[in-house]
Amino acid sequence: MPAPATFSNWLFALGLVIGIALGLAFTRLSGPLQRDNAEPWQLQPEQSNHYRVAVALEHAHSGDLTAAMEKLISLRTATDPLDALAESACQLGSSGYLASPSGIQALRIVAQFYIAQGRAGCAEQLLPPVATPKPAAREDDSIRSIAHSTPVPTKPPLETVAQPTRLAPPVQPAQRRFEAISLRSFCAADRPAVIEVSVVDYLGRGLPGQQIRARWGAQEDFFISGLKGDRGLAYADFQMSADTDYTLDMPNVAEPVGQSLRTGLCYEGNRESLKSYRVVFAER
Amino acid sequence: MRRFLLSLTLGLLLGALAGVAIGWLNPPPAARNSRLSDLAQPHRDDYTIMIAAGYAHDGDLAGALERLQLLEINELTSYLRAITERIINSGSRELDDIRMLARLTAELGGATPAMLPFLAGGSS
Repeated sequence: MPAPATFSNWLFALGLVIGIALGLAFTRLSGPLQRDNAEPWQLQPEQSNHYRVAVALEHAHSGDLTAAMEKLISLRTATDPLDALAESACQLGSSGYLASPSGIQALRIVAQFYIAQGRAGCAEQLLPPVATPKPAAREDDSIRSIAHSTPVPTKPPLETVAQPTRLAPPVQPAQRRFEAISLRSFCAADRPAVIEVSVVDYLGRGLPGQQIRARWGAQEDFFISGLKGDRGLAYADFQMSADTDYTLDMPNVAEPVGQSLRTGLCYEGNRESLKSYRVVFAER
Repeated sequence: MRRFLLSLTLGLLLGALAGVAIGWLNPPPAARNSRLSDLAQPHRDDYTIMIAAGYAHDGDLAGALERLQLLEINELTSYLRAITERIINSGSRELDDIRMLARLTAELGGATPAMLPFLAGGSS
């Protein structure tokens, strides 16, 4: 007499199918996302806005409309790529992007791009008026103002016509002035003999790309804020050597820090290290 | 009843293991939820070159750095040096792209001997 069956193939198969579905669902919800392989169209909306700004900036330099359109199309928007560009500028302009001179300058370039292609958005209304060149402006500022005064075309230009803008010289943001408002020494075993500098604007926001100069003896070296992404836009640092007095300033925009900086032995708890400094340059 | 539970439980367990293994080994590509730092290298190169072109156009170093920070790279100078040298060595980009990258890298103090020929003429 055969033994009673203790296993059902039918139920096992059902369980297997349900299990595979659950396992796949789990990995889709909390499994590893593929990184470093994304295409531009896969960018989050906010990130694709920044990508579009970059496309417009490159177009401003190269004048290559075909390349710019290809990059805008690669974002695979549901609407016309140039309308999407105008919408991106509008979103950025409404979300604090215009708080910095760099943002204003970039959005102005974006707006010029889509207006020249016969599109309109809200960014051009959000942008502050173009500043009148100061009497003491550089010689090439006059050329720039001519480049900026190009009238808006009354009809969309032919798409194949590229308008090189290379003749426009580099536009330097307005000169800022800074002041060393804080100088403190500290002792950290993991940060020996370092000058840590923060460069901030008058609202305390970090300013990248600001040049700081360290001078010692007849030598000097430059370092720039914002190069260490994990330390923020304001941060810059400089490694000191022993038995050397350093003077710190920002060439042409900030006077030297009041005292020379010199490292020496210090103790963090019972751990020996070398004295470091924190300096804050603030816009005034 | 015992037969029912045993068959179903065994099937569920094996199925779940297989499902997790398949899903883990073949992750889905990110879909419209990626950051600029997730871009594949050629597209990250594109973005970096676009920023370098923007800098060549407006000379706004602070703006260029703010935009490059979106790539979430800790050492921007090293990153720019690496990408510029890689592109110089591979010859995979236009001369003007290399010049713009070299100029931006040099501006941040990261110029290397390999970049000097591209810095001599400046960016056009």
